[in-house]
Amino acid sequence: MPGFLREHSWSIAFSVLLHGLLAAALVFAALISLNRSTPTKVPLPIDAVVIDSQVLHAAQRELADRAEKEAARARAVEEQQRAAKEAEATAAADAEKAAAEAAREADAQKAELAQAKRADDAKRAEDAKRADETKRAEDAKRVEQAKRAEEAKRAELAKQAEDAKRAADAKAKAEREAELRRQLAEEEHVSAVEASPARAQYIARLASRIQNAWIKPPSARAGLDCIVNITQLPGGTVANAVVSQCNGDAAARQSIENAVYRASPLPPPPDPALFERNLVIHFHPQD
Amino acid sequence: MIKPLSCLAFIALGLTALATRAAFVVEVTRGQTEAIPIAVVPFSSGEAAAASFDVAQLVSDDLARSGRFSAMDRKDMIDQPHTGANIAFDDWRRLNNDYIVVGSVQAAGADHFTITYELYNVLTKQRLLGYQITSNRPGLRLASHQVADMVFEKILGIRGAFSTRIAYISVTGHLPTKNFQLIVADADGENPRVVMQSNEPLMSPAWSPDGQSLAYVSFEDRLPSVYVQTLKSGERRKVSGHAGVNQAPAWSPDGKKLALTLSTRDGNLDIYVMDLGTQGLTRITDDPGIDTEPQWSKDGQSLYFTSDRAGGPQIYKVGVNPGDKPRRLTFQGSYNARPRLSPDESQLAFVTQEDGAYRIATMDLRGRGDVQVLTKGHFDVSPSYAPNGAVIIYASRDRGQGVLALVSADGRVQQRVVSSEGELQEPTWGPF
Repeated sequence: MPGFLREHSWSIAFSVLLHGLLAAALVFAALISLNRSTPTKVPLPIDAVVIDSQVLHAAQRELADRAEKEAARARAVEEQQRAAKEAEATAAADAEKAAAEAAREADAQKAELAQAKRADDAKRAEDAKRADETKRAEDAKRVEQAKRAEEAKRAELAKQAEDAKRAADAKAKAEREAELRRQLAEEEHVSAVEASPARAQYIARLASRIQNAWIKPPSARAGLDCIVNITQLPGGTVANAVVSQCNGDAAARQSIENAVYRASPLPPPPDPALFERNLVIHFHPQD
Repeated sequence: MIKPLSCLAFIALGLTALATRAAFVVEVTRGQTEAIPIAVVPFSSGEAAAASFDVAQLVSDDLARSGRFSAMDRKDMIDQPHTGANIAFDDWRRLNNDYIVVGSVQAAGADHFTITYELYNVLTKQRLLGYQITSNRPGLRLASHQVADMVFEKILGIRGAFSTRIAYISVTGHLPTKNFQLIVADADGENPRVVMQSNEPLMSPAWSPDGQSLAYVSFEDRLPSVYVQTLKSGERRKVSGHAGVNQAPAWSPDGKKLALTLSTRDGNLDIYVMDLGTQGLTRITDDPGIDTEPQWSKDGQSLYFTSDRAGGPQIYKVGVNPGDKPRRLTFQGSYNARPRLSPDESQLAFVTQEDGAYRIATMDLRGRGDVQVLTKGHFDVSPSYAPNGAVIIYASRDRGQGVLALVSADGRVQQRVVSSEGELQEPTWGPF
């Protein structure tokens, strides 16, 4: 009997290994199909590593148990055969025929075993072939998966690039809009303050300052009407003052330009937005 | 979509900015009537110091006396440049000067001198004038007045009258040895020359339009007669010696006629016009009241005069053509007399009574006839316009003494110009 075991130990071990591989392949495939069903952004093949080791161990244990049971059955069969052989051997002591019969029987058994062995070999070849096929299918699947992942990755990269471009565009657009809004807001602010009491206050201050500085020449009678264009620097220093239109004489023009220079530095606006580099002053004495 | 939008926005902004600029107009409707600050720096003189004549001081005084300028005291000057190249404009501006006059007096041959002067606008640093005047020693005063005239005109746009002359009557002594003098002096009262003197009253001097002659009233024949005297030669002649009163002569603008006041036999006073060539008379007014103190309009077609035909003295205007009816001009107050027309005929100056005092007033002839009392004295009489119309000279009393005074035509500036030991009366400003 131990001889039988010894004789079959490789095939048993091989069988156990095959079963284990098969089981692992099945679990792996299930995991991959599971992965495939979940659409994620980054389905990298390396995700397969994330197999639960407990699941693998359980599968391995099951395979081991099954192999053990088979071994036990084989042992039981072997025991029966041994018992039968012993009974035969006790009976064979009487008859010569019995030995021949036993020999025949042994031959028959041998043939039977050989047959079984052949069958077993065939089965083993079958199994190997099946495993090979599974493995090949698996490889193909893996290649396919990798290919698909690569494609997905490429698609993802393309998508990312596109997204980045779209984001950049959106950002630029947002910036342009913000700038526009800022300009508009500024303009609105300027318009607002221009129409505001602050502007009126600024104009009144300027008028008062220049008025106080203006020494009206005796020739400046009612009806004098002059425009003086002023360029002021930040801080109010008068850079230039030129009478552009005037119905008065040279003395009146000069008195007006002098008034602007004497008023320098001009008062600052209450709101910096009101500062105007170029001012237009209208001189028209009422008295 | 962004680009066209921002483009539109840009255009809109541009338009707004344009509109802003155009709308940003500051209105100035009043000016100060301050004096214009000016510095007349002492002129360098070198060897011409022998002339011992201070041109700059005279120019400075002229400008200050006009009331239009406040001249910087030379003691306050931190620098004395003599040419434009040496003017530190910022310093002069810091000392609040709008204008600066610099110059020199150089000897130019025997007893002759050349005055070189420049006028600058301190604020714009522009040179406004640069001239030379050559004069002999006695002419330096007149030349200096001419410098002041040029500066005055350049800055104010009004011809200066500093180099013109005034005539007035000076009375000294006491009865029975009173001395009456007809005097012609420079406009600043300096350089007085006696043209005529008498122990009998002299009155009403009047300049011929060419400034060569004076007409006046003399009582040397006991009764008032009108004389015309040529200044240069001293030659004089009686042009109106009618029985009764001959007074208040006034030269026509063409210098060919005199308007004057004559009395009829019954003592009524009326206005006549006398042709100086023929001495023929044209009667202008015929009224039982007193008509006197005539003054010609510029076109020689009308006369302004004083009449008490309505009770108190008031001012009237009448055409010189026969049959023209006098029109009353003054209605404010009970006493308005001695009309004098401004050179541009925009104003009439006269003596008005206010609070029991006699004062100089003006009436606007172009607008609504507004009357403005210019002086504040108790006895301000005999107004006479400077030929530039900017100033009125008149006779006043200061601590019991007759003096001559000036008031600007707008009443803003008043100054006493001439005083002496005598009583000064009836100033009359000569032509340019």
